[in-house]
Order: sequence, then C-alpha cells, then structure tokens
Amino acid sequence: MLKICTVYYSDQYTPDYVGKLYDSIRRNCSIPFQSICISDDPSVEADIVLPYNHYGDIKKHWHKLKFFSPNFGYQNPDDDIIIMDIDQVITSNVDDLIGHPVQDKELITYGIWWKSILKTNGGFYKFKSGSLAYVWDDFAKNPGYWQMHYYKDRIVHFPYYGEQNYVNWRAEENGIKIIPTPEEWIGKCDIDKDEEIGDNRLYLEKFGDFMFLDGVSPNIKVVHFTGPGNTIHNNSNEWIKDYWK
Amino acid sequence: MRRIICCRFGNKFTQWHVDNLKHMIDTYSGIEYDKFEVIEGDLYGNWYNKFQMYDKFRDGDNLYFDLDMVIYGKLPNLFRSDFTLLDDTWWREPAHTPLNSSIVSWSGSVHHIWEKFWPYAEDYMTKYSLGSDEWYYKEIEYETYDRVCPKFSIKESNPNYNVCTLGQLHHIMEEGWTGWWSPYFLER
Repeated sequence: MLKICTVYYSDQYTPDYVGKLYDSIRRNCSIPFQSICISDDPSVEADIVLPYNHYGDIKKHWHKLKFFSPNFGYQNPDDDIIIMDIDQVITSNVDDLIGHPVQDKELITYGIWWKSILKTNGGFYKFKSGSLAYVWDDFAKNPGYWQMHYYKDRIVHFPYYGEQNYVNWRAEENGIKIIPTPEEWIGKCDIDKDEEIGDNRLYLEKFGDFMFLDGVSPNIKVVHFTGPGNTIHNNSNEWIKDYWK
Repeated sequence: MRRIICCRFGNKFTQWHVDNLKHMIDTYSGIEYDKFEVIEGDLYGNWYNKFQMYDKFRDGDNLYFDLDMVIYGKLPNLFRSDFTLLDDTWWREPAHTPLNSSIVSWSGSVHHIWEKFWPYAEDYMTKYSLGSDEWYYKEIEYETYDRVCPKFSIKESNPNYNVCTLGQLHHIMEEGWTGWWSPYFLER
C-alpha cells in the first residue's frame, strides 16, 4: 500500500488545502493510495485524520517526521511512504512522481533547479516504511533541541525551520541514497513577484520553456509555493484556479 | 486505605490518559486498592504540582504513577512504608538527578515534603528548573526501589519487567501510534 502523508495546522493555510492536494493527485494519478493527515482540524479531507497535538513537544511541520517511524500512521512493513507539504498545486500527471520506484535505504525527493545547499527538499519524501526510522527515533530523543537548532545556528532565518536540513543530515549520515526526481518536474511560486520573474527566467534557461505565464509549462508536475507567508489562496496567478480544486 | 494516585493538569494529558492508567492497573498489574485519586490542581503549571499529594494524602498506603507509563503485566508489590521513588541510574546516563518520580510510594504522612516546598516554591522551581526529581535528590531523604521500571523501548517490551516509563517518548500515547504496547492501552 502507498500512503501519502501530510500535516495541517491552523496557521496561514486553510483546511481545504488538504482535500485539494489529495483530490488533485487522484485526478492526475492512476496509482491507488491512502491519504493520511495529521491535523488540528478534524474536517480536513483525508482517508485517515490523526490529531495534531498542540500541547506536545513537537511543533509545526516537524510533525512530518513522525511518518518516518513505522509505528506511526498504521504503516505496514511493505508500505511505500510519501510525505508531502500541502502548499503545492498539481498541474499534470504525477504517475512518474508518485510511482517513482524506491528501495530500502533510499530517499526519493524533489530535484530542484534553484540554488540550495541541501540534497533533500521537504516538499516531497518517498521511502520504504521503516527503512529510515532513525530519522524520527533520533529526533524524538530531543525534539526541543532539533526544532531550534538550525535557527540558533543561523542556518535558517525563522524559528522552527530546518526540518529538511535535519532530514538531509540524517540521510547523509546514515549513507542513504538520496535520489532526486527530474528537476523540470517542479515549479516554484514565490511570494515576491521579482523573485517569480527571476525564477521563470532561470527555468527558461535550463529547460527551454517558461515555468508559468498564463498557464503552466507541460514539463511541470507540481508547483510548490515556497517561503514564509506564501499561500496558494492569496496568490494572484490566474492559472491556479484551473488546477487547485 | 490503599490509594493509587496520579496527576493531571493543563492540556498535555487528557481524561483518556487517566482512564488508561486505571485500565492498565486494573487489568494487568494485579494491584489491589481502595481508591483511585487524581490530583488536578494546577498551582505551578509544571510537574511540581505533584507535590500537592503530600499535603492531601496523609494516611494509609499510597502509590503514585505518572500517566505516561505502560503497564503490561503483574507488578511486584510497590507499596512502601518509607518515602520511596525510582532510581534510574541502572539504565540511563548520569544526569542532574539519579531519581525518577514516575512511581512514588509512602505510608502515613510525608507532609513534611509539602511543608518544606510550598513556602519557597518559586525559589525552588528556579533553582531546580529541570524538574522536581532534582529537588528530591538535593532536598529530602528518600529510599529507592530496586530495579522495577526500565525505560520504554519502541521495538519490544522488556520481558523482565511489566512496567516502563515513556520519558521523552510519551508521544506514542497519541492516536496513530501502534506497537507492542497498543493492546495494553485503553481503546479510544
């Protein structure tokens, strides 16, 4: 069984982000999957909704790491696990992304064409259930430390950021094979229009097509709305309404 | 009078956690008791709230459990006459205190603990900010149990003991976590 796992908490997004992500994957994917969401709003649309505990030690998107434990989310030994951020819009068929083959000790993640010091991208992780259990197990020994570590060391600019830095480090430390998906599959929508223009130009230089103008390049499968404060529902790009539903 | 005591305050633990502890004690531990008591007063916003039990229960035989434990079989007699708590040094690295008050027992009155603590509560909570277990270690006389309660392992239960403390891993009590411990927990 393939499980696609997400986290929702009341902050800058709305509960419909969860249902829209899963619905759009189902529209653009022939592979059956079970949707599981950790949420502080039980009305989100997923096959299984697990409670987001605001009073525990785990904060914000760090809850995503729970899915690395085979003891969480009713996982079975042969399951393939995908963890996705909910701030993404599916724009074309994702069979090759969702169905990307994965073996033990491998981590499939977005290949990205913009500048990054990391080999992993927190928008998409795929792995065999339990094969990266230490990602959660080691984090759970001292979540308070890790959740602020990358901010305190000025590696990231916002408190509680750094989850993908942590996953990247744990994966590399344990000799995990990090496999990026083709870079042209991922679009990036920034909150800053100048950034967006620059990203469009860079995508054009690399892949011979604009990332998006009136519509979205057919090369792109997923557009990720990156950066603090960025949302899909407040974005003015007209093409969003064609895909995000 | 034999009492089982636990403590719930704030939002971290719910009524399910209290009911779950009682379920595990009643179903698996073999402990016989007269009353199940819950300390709910939130005087300090932290685990120093447990100290209220030394004021409230001044007679009989008393046995306290934290809520984040797994009881999965018959327990040895844990009731003690002298004030007794766990010593964790046999399973963990040295820390600011060797003690663990996940299980505590006494008979009669240990009211002196409360009397020593409450007039200087703010000072003590500043001095021992890592938790009340250091307070016990530095401030009062106590006895410790023999090896009765190891730490929790997510992989398997320890066949030599029938109770374990979750410590940092108390998240496994949340909905969605399953493992060897699941059959022992109260259904939600």
